[in-house]
Amino acid sequence: MSDASANGAPSNDETESDERTVRPYVESPIIMATVRVVAPFVFTFGLFIMFHGADSSGGGFQGGVIVGTVILMLGIAFGIEPTREWVDPRTLVSLVGVGVLVFLVIGFGTVVAGGGFLDYDAVDIYHANKYGIELVELAIGVIVSGIITGLFFAIAAGASGGESA
Amino acid sequence: MTPREIAIAALAVGGVFFAVVAAVGVIRLPDLYTRSHSASKSDTLGAGMALAAVALTFGADISTVKTVLLLLFMFITNPTAAHAITRAAAEEGIEPWTRDDEEVDE
Repeated sequence: MSDASANGAPSNDETESDERTVRPYVESPIIMATVRVVAPFVFTFGLFIMFHGADSSGGGFQGGVIVGTVILMLGIAFGIEPTREWVDPRTLVSLVGVGVLVFLVIGFGTVVAGGGFLDYDAVDIYHANKYGIELVELAIGVIVSGIITGLFFAIAAGASGGESA
Repeated sequence: MTPREIAIAALAVGGVFFAVVAAVGVIRLPDLYTRSHSASKSDTLGAGMALAAVALTFGADISTVKTVLLLLFMFITNPTAAHAITRAAAEEGIEPWTRDDEEVDE
């Protein structure tokens, strides 16, 4: 208790005296520790949801959002700017592009193999249906998580931020 | 009723009780700090007890492991989220609520 008030009081005075200078974000050790512990589990859970889409409820959209949340958590815990440096916007855009490409390649690949669009059984692989669905889910997940992260960065930039994605 | 059923019922009732307390706290308390105090503590315990009841109901099963993991993460993340929200509020300079009539300085 006394620690919290001792930390809180000077910081309040500081904001009042340095009128409107933006102080650098001070990371909270509690949030950082929790994110460090939880992030790998959340990431694994997101992948699990993605691959589960072939058998039961779940799928690329839900799993992609959960995987995107990991980047969001890192941004909240360690500050936006370090995360933005770590995940380059160009990497994000290329990830989304690769996801779309994989989806299209699988979709039209089955057409080339003699079936319909996304008609997995046309390809002569054992359990082609299952693997095909899982690959497509993975591609959708990559797209969705890239978009979610990009939207987060765009929102975090604020109304004045001119940076793209 | 077997002892296990009694334990499940007690846990479920306790979970509902603490969830209701948290809801009442969120509606009735005056400002952000007190509300998050109610939501983090009481709600975490309520959800924890409800999940413990679920885990007891499943018995020896893989679902029990999943439920216990869920309980564990609930106990880690829920207070952390409340901490993050109140910390952001304190950073923004939101004043804690005090009673207007008597300015008690402790």
